[in-house]
Amino acid sequence: MEKKLIIIAVVIAAIVVVGGISAALLLGKESKTTGTVKYITIAPKDMKAALAGGTIDAYIAWEPYVSDSVVGNVGDVLEWSDQIMPNHPCCVVAVSPDFLNGPNGVNLTERFLKAHIEANKWMADALAHPSGANYTALVNMAVQFTSRNATVVKAALEHVKYGYEMNQDFRNALKQFTDMYIDANMTTAAKLQDRGYSSTTDFISKYVNGSLLDAARSVTPSSTILNPSNPIRLGYLLGDLHQLAQVVAQNTTAFGGTSMFQKYGLLVTNATGAPFASGGTEMSLGFAAGAVDIGYLGAPPAILNHMNSGVKALIIAQANSEGSGLVVKANSGIHNLEDLVNKTVATPGESSIQFLLLRIALDREGLDLKIKT
Amino acid sequence: MDGKEVVINITHLSKVFIRDRRRIIALDDFGLEVREGEFVCLLGPSGCGKTTVLRIVAGLEAKSGGSAKVEGKEVRDAGPDRGMVFQEFALFPWRTVRKNIEFGLEVKHVPETDRADVSKKLIEFVGLKGFEDAHPRELSGGMKQRVAIARALANDPKVLLMDEPFGSLDAQTRNLMQKELLRIWSARRKTVLFVTHSVEEAVYLADRIVVMTARPGKVREIIDVPLSRPRDRTSREFITIRSKVLGELEEEFEKARAGELSPE
Amino acid sequence: MRSLTKSLSKVFISNWLRLTLSAVSLTVFLTLWWLFSAYLRADWPFQGVTPSPSTADYIPYWWDVLRAVGRSFVTRPQNTGGLLMSEHILASLKRISIAFVLALLSAVPLGLLMGRSRNAEALGRPLVELFRPIPPLAWVPIFLVIFKFFWGPIAIVFLGIFFPILLNVILGARSVDPVLIDAARTLGARRGTIFGKVVFPFTTPYLMTGITVGLGIGWMCIVAAEMLGAVGGGVGYYIFAANNTSQYELMYAGMVVIGMLSVLTTGIAGLIERWLYRWMGKK
Ligand SMILES: Nc1ncnc2c1ncn2[C@@H]1O[C@H](COP(=O)(O)OP(=O)(O)OP(=O)(O)O)[C@@H](O)[C@H]1O
Ligand SMILES: [Mg+2]
Repeated sequence: MEKKLIIIAVVIAAIVVVGGISAALLLGKESKTTGTVKYITIAPKDMKAALAGGTIDAYIAWEPYVSDSVVGNVGDVLEWSDQIMPNHPCCVVAVSPDFLNGPNGVNLTERFLKAHIEANKWMADALAHPSGANYTALVNMAVQFTSRNATVVKAALEHVKYGYEMNQDFRNALKQFTDMYIDANMTTAAKLQDRGYSSTTDFISKYVNGSLLDAARSVTPSSTILNPSNPIRLGYLLGDLHQLAQVVAQNTTAFGGTSMFQKYGLLVTNATGAPFASGGTEMSLGFAAGAVDIGYLGAPPAILNHMNSGVKALIIAQANSEGSGLVVKANSGIHNLEDLVNKTVATPGESSIQFLLLRIALDREGLDLKIKT
Repeated sequence: MDGKEVVINITHLSKVFIRDRRRIIALDDFGLEVREGEFVCLLGPSGCGKTTVLRIVAGLEAKSGGSAKVEGKEVRDAGPDRGMVFQEFALFPWRTVRKNIEFGLEVKHVPETDRADVSKKLIEFVGLKGFEDAHPRELSGGMKQRVAIARALANDPKVLLMDEPFGSLDAQTRNLMQKELLRIWSARRKTVLFVTHSVEEAVYLADRIVVMTARPGKVREIIDVPLSRPRDRTSREFITIRSKVLGELEEEFEKARAGELSPE
Repeated sequence: MRSLTKSLSKVFISNWLRLTLSAVSLTVFLTLWWLFSAYLRADWPFQGVTPSPSTADYIPYWWDVLRAVGRSFVTRPQNTGGLLMSEHILASLKRISIAFVLALLSAVPLGLLMGRSRNAEALGRPLVELFRPIPPLAWVPIFLVIFKFFWGPIAIVFLGIFFPILLNVILGARSVDPVLIDAARTLGARRGTIFGKVVFPFTTPYLMTGITVGLGIGWMCIVAAEMLGAVGGGVGYYIFAANNTSQYELMYAGMVVIGMLSVLTTGIAGLIERWLYRWMGKK
């Protein structure tokens, strides 16, 4: 009895599989282009070992995973991400609308952004004076945050551009990303309509909110904590050097016992699940579940998760730009993008900014990017 | 004795088990001769070593001393010349009746058609026609034991060793199986060493009954059963012999009980 | 062909009650799903309710999921490697099959040995107990570097399948009724024959349990295995990538496909079982 049912199920499943395979064979003929680069998905933390072990020929990742290989003499940087796209956006600060519209939400968010601005300014100053004490303090914070040694961190810091402003280039770049995602079927124009936007331009103009940042500029320090019993629940990614501003803003020891958040009257705590180890989507779930008030995450996951699952996390400031790199194996004889043809490049995943950057770079050379088979 | 050759020759056989660092003397100076075509029953109190004797003759257990010869050769290992039938039937549950019976032939790499011939005849012989493709779980206890007997016979062994084969059957089936066994025995002329707990069974089946002492087991008495077959369980001769055997046994039972009560 | 339709129709008629019951449970499930989705969207019959749009996207209508399954066979979204579902299925099946064959070939002899020999058991047990509780997911980065792209994911799935088979075979081999071995010996069987004709057949039901459980765990591991460095995609990769972009319809579609594949492989395991039984002389 059971066996016969199983046989029926097998027959049905077999028909589906056989049908699918024949469909694949029929539709599987693809056009040939000048050259194809193969990609594969790996967590950035494993890329260095994979490169050293010869599993991959190159990878694209964010700092400190780029400098990690360079300092370790495992890899050379073929292109920094600013060579692919100058000033490209990367990580952003996003706020949950529920928090923003809640009690005191606007006030708290503006104060948060003020601390973010101040942290950025302090970092810019520290980075400009590598011999100063602030530089050492910053490096120490980054070493603790990323669990990398000072040499790696110093090298990495040179290639990350910290900044909070959201100018027109920033918005244009986000619009370009969104268009590319629609092109690539990673989201759809229909979803855009579903969310109530008439176009990608309309989407960016509504989803990137600059008014809070403008208001934040005039926020003044506060002697009392405004939210002693409801701390802001902060989301950020594990050891992501791009999100160093929140590390600085939370630090107390370098600033005479008072953190920048405290200075502006804020109590900030890690959101449940933070630091998130597996990326922006995980944090988006935190936003969706109402567990994250304000978060630092990559712009692509913020956009894609909003489009596809309706998670609302308004982009209210930039965290950094640039700071990614395409690394090839040291002494591998790969000197330009063409040399990557038929080689394997690891990326953090198709939904990452690094994947987009790689596509943009290869497109420019007329090269295809296909999953390794 | 009728002058036939001795098939099983056991002399000064001893067996010591070691369990929990204690020595258990199961057999001590056990001796027995069984001649060709003879039907001998082993009878004795529980734990006296009947199974042990059988297992040593079968080659399933190593002896501690003395000698156990089958057809003049010292037993070293189990072999197809000594078929064994177990109380628990010991059928292979995943094999059909036919395949169970053919097991020994398969092991000997007998060609498939010859195997089928043998098993077909045996199935008819033990009265299991129609059940060739049944699995053991579909059979009654009596039928299972028929399969086990047929399986042992398939190898055409000289000696058939049977350890309480009918112990778990109900009285009717048991009587029927005893008759069947005698029919098979006389048709095939096997030498049988048969262990039982039932005095009546022993008197019904055996040419000679070996009554064993309580542990450590040795031969207490060998009683001839000079009755012609088929035997009538209610006849005076039958009852006389039965009483004699019972009397012998009773004393050993008492000893066994005392042994259990007093420390080793 | 005629016999197939005949047996199929026979199955349908003789099983109509059970099939109806299965259909009822499936219908109830789909209805509840539909009602929940409709409730979240305040669609009919819940027009009056306040909708919860952000949760709604996590619970699409089931027909949208089925449509997504269909679409996945003809579209090539870039975030899932630009591959068709059929290519993902092929990649996953390849992984599972290789891992399964390797697990079977290694776990069965090892299990028989460890179940029958105390020394082998003493030798193997510490290693088994050391490695068994480690979730295959934990090996992902290590295997990636040691075994590279092709063998890395296979090794993870292998671990998932290997231990259930091994432990069940050990258990089976250990519980072989000693009287069966005695019987085989008196019928002339030697060590090797006893292994092949008694110990192994006795262990087969245990082995089948191990295979069924193992394949289930194998499919569970496939998402973890394919999460990183899966060459040529895979259904697990598809689920992982769809999750990364919050495309929950696609994610569900991947889950449905994995479910079907799991049924398929369990069915194949059933065929193996029958083949084994025949081979052992069951029928
Ligand atoms: N494998 C063994 N290890 C230790 N002791 C054993 C073993 N087999 C048998 N014995 C012991 O040897 C003695 C004889 O056992 P055996 O099974 O031969 O008795 P038996 O006469 O067949 O008893 P029963 O009539 O109850 O079947 C018993 O005391 C038993 O406990
Ligand atoms: Mg006994």
